[in-house]
Amino acid sequence: MMTTASAITVQKMSKVFGQRKALDKVSFELPQGAFLSIFGPNGAGKTTLLRILSTLMRPSSGSAEVLGFDLKEKPGGLRNHIGFISHKPLLYLDLSAEENLLFAARLYGVEEPEQRVSELLAVVELTARRHDSVRTFSRGMTQRLSIARALVHDPQLVFLDEPYSGLDPHAVHIFDELLQKIREQESLERQRSFCMVSHDMDKGLDLATHLLILEKGKVVLFDQKDEIDRSDFVRHYHRSVGMGVA
Amino acid sequence: MSTKKRVSTFEHYKILLGKDLRREFRTREMLSTMGIYTLLVLVIFGIALMQTSAKIDIVQMSGGLFWALIVFTSLLGLNRSFAYEKEDGALEGVLLVPLDRSVIFLSKLTANFLLLIIVEAIAIPLFFLFFLSGVEMQPSLPLALAPLLVGTIGIAGVGTLLATITINTRGKDMLLALLFIPLVFPLLYACVSATTLAITGGDMLTGAYTAGLTLAIGYDVVMILVSWLLYDFVVSA
Amino acid sequence: MQYKATIFDKLALPLLLFGGVLIVFAFVFAFTITPPAQGDAMLAVPAPIGDFFLTNIVLLSQKIFYFHVPVAMVSFGALVFTAIYGILFLKTRNSKYDMRARLSTEISLVFVLMTMVSGLAWTRSDWGVWWSWEPRLTTYFILMLMVFSYFILRTAVSDPERRAVYSSVFGIIVFINAPLCFMITRLIPSSLHPVVFRADSGLPPLMLIPFLVAMLGFVCIAFALYRMRLRTSQSQENIEMLKTRLEELEG
Repeated sequence: MMTTASAITVQKMSKVFGQRKALDKVSFELPQGAFLSIFGPNGAGKTTLLRILSTLMRPSSGSAEVLGFDLKEKPGGLRNHIGFISHKPLLYLDLSAEENLLFAARLYGVEEPEQRVSELLAVVELTARRHDSVRTFSRGMTQRLSIARALVHDPQLVFLDEPYSGLDPHAVHIFDELLQKIREQESLERQRSFCMVSHDMDKGLDLATHLLILEKGKVVLFDQKDEIDRSDFVRHYHRSVGMGVA
Repeated sequence: MSTKKRVSTFEHYKILLGKDLRREFRTREMLSTMGIYTLLVLVIFGIALMQTSAKIDIVQMSGGLFWALIVFTSLLGLNRSFAYEKEDGALEGVLLVPLDRSVIFLSKLTANFLLLIIVEAIAIPLFFLFFLSGVEMQPSLPLALAPLLVGTIGIAGVGTLLATITINTRGKDMLLALLFIPLVFPLLYACVSATTLAITGGDMLTGAYTAGLTLAIGYDVVMILVSWLLYDFVVSA
Repeated sequence: MQYKATIFDKLALPLLLFGGVLIVFAFVFAFTITPPAQGDAMLAVPAPIGDFFLTNIVLLSQKIFYFHVPVAMVSFGALVFTAIYGILFLKTRNSKYDMRARLSTEISLVFVLMTMVSGLAWTRSDWGVWWSWEPRLTTYFILMLMVFSYFILRTAVSDPERRAVYSSVFGIIVFINAPLCFMITRLIPSSLHPVVFRADSGLPPLMLIPFLVAMLGFVCIAFALYRMRLRTSQSQENIEMLKTRLEELEG
C-alpha cells in the first residue's frame, strides 16, 4: 500500500444519476506529497469529486485508487488514512474541545488518545480553552479545532472543502500558518498530500503544487503548477469560473 | 507520531453511545422538552376527560391514552436526536471513520430507548396521579411493564431509522410523524391491548395478554432487523 | 439511453380494454348466474356491530366481494414490486429501478384507494356501519397512509439519488409492515368488536368463476396502466435529456 508513488489515481471516473452527470470521465494522477487545488464554477462537480475521493460518496463507473485503496472495493481501509476539513466543523458544539477530539481519537483507535489530544490542542493553540464547549468558540477557533480533529489519526491525505469560507482575515492568516506548519511538520518522515476545493483563487494558487479545473463534471485543465504560466492560468480560470456565474 | 489499534465494533458502539448520553446529560435538550411536553399532553387529556364520570371507562381507556402520550412524546425526542448530528456535520465526521455503519443505528437506538425510559418513569406516576388515583388497582398491574418495555424498544428502533431519513428532508418534523405513525401502528395495537388487559385484569388476561406481548416482540424483532440491515444505505445517502 | 418501445407497450392499450371486458363479464356473471351467497359470509353467531345484530348477509355486500377482494390483492401485489425494485435499486444504484418502484407504488395507490371505497361500501351494507376497526379494513387504511407518506417523502427530498435511496428503503419497510399489521390486528381479539371470521376457502364454482375472471381483469388493468405510465415517464426523461443537451449546444 505504501509502495504506490501516487496519492490519487483516477481513471475515467463518472458519477451519474439518471440523466444527470455530476462527474464525466474524470482522469488524473496526483503524486504523494502534492497539494492539489481544484477550481471550477458552481455545480461543476468539485464537491462531488472531493466527497467521492474521501469515501463519502460512491463513484458510478471508472476506477479510482486513493493511497493504493480501491474506492469501490475497500473504502473502509482508506478511511484510516484520510482527514477531512470542511467549511462545516464536523464537531459536536455542545461538547468541549477536548471531548470532541477524544471522541474522534477513540473512534479511530489512536493509542494513548489523551496524549495525542493534548499534543494537537497545543498545535492549534487551544490548550487554554480545552474544557469549554465548542459553542462558545469563535468561527476561527472552531475551524482550528476542526483541523485538529481531521489530524487526530495522523492522515496521509487531507481533504479541504472550502476551508476559508466564513473566516475573517485574521483567522485566515492563522489558518494559513497552521496549514504551513502541518505541511512541513511531517514532510520529512513521509509525504503528506493535500486536496483542496476553494473559491479563493490566490490562496489556491499559492498553496498548490498541482492545479485542476472542472467544468460541468469534466476536467478541462490538470497540470503541475510549475508547468503553467500564472497569467495564462488566471485567464483560463476567469473564463471557466466566470462562465458558471453568468 | 501516534499508532493505531483496531477498534472492535462493540468499542465503537460504546464510544458513540457515550457521546450521545454525555451530550444529552449536559444540555438536557431532549429530556427537558419531552418532559414538559408530557405534562402538556396530560393537561390535554385532563380537559378531554373532564366531562366523563364513570370510573370504569377510565380504566379501560388508560392503556390507550398512555400509549398516545408515549407516541407523541417520542416523536418530539426522535426529531431532536438527529438534529444535532446534522447541524454542524458531526455525523459526516463519524462516517469518515472506518466503522460498521449499522453501529450508528444500534447506539442511537440505545440512546433514544434510554431517554424514553427516563421520560416514561416520570410520566407513569403523573398519569396515575391525574387519572387513576381513585381507582382500585388490579394485582395484574405490574404486567403492564412488559409491553411498555417492548413497545419502547420498537418505537426507538423504527424511530431511529426514520429520523435518519427525515433529517435530510424538507419539513422534517412533520414528515417524521407521517412516516412514523403508520409504521408503528401494529406495535401500538399490540401494546395497547396487552397494557389494557394488564390494567383491567380479569379472565381475559392469560391468552390475550400473551398474544399481544408475543406479537409486539415479533414486530420488534422483524422491524429492528430490517432497519439494521437497511441502515447503512440510509445513513450513507 | 434512447428508449425503444417493446411488445409490452404495444400491448398496453389492448390489455387495458381486455381487462375492462373481463371485469364487466365478471360482474354480469356475479349478478345473474351466481346464486346469492350462503356460505362465504355467514356469521357463526349473531354479532353486534354498530347498533345491529347481524345474522345473515345483505346481497350487495356479497357482490362487492368480486370487486373488492381482487382490487385489494392487486394493490398489495403492486407493493411487492415496489419492494423488489427497491432492493434492485439499492444493489445497482440504477435510477431506472427507482422509477419502476415509484410507478409500482402509484399503481398500488390507485388500487388501495379503490379498495378503501369498496371496503366502505362493504362495511356499510354488510354490518350497517360506515367504519369498523376490522383487521382488513384497518390494515388497508394504514397501508393507504403509508403509501401517501411514500409520495410525500419523495417530494420532500431534493437530491435525486438520496430520494431514490430513501424511498427504496421506505418502500421495502412498507411492504414488510403491511402483513405485520394484518397479522397483529387479526390475532389480537379486540374487546369491543368481535372479529368476523370468514370462510375464505372452498368457493363453489359458480362464485369462483366470476372471482377469478375479475381478478385476471384487474391484473391486466394494473399491468397495462403500469406500462403506460412507464412509457410516459421514460419519454419525459428523454425530453429532459434533450433539453439539457440543447442548452449545452447553445451555451
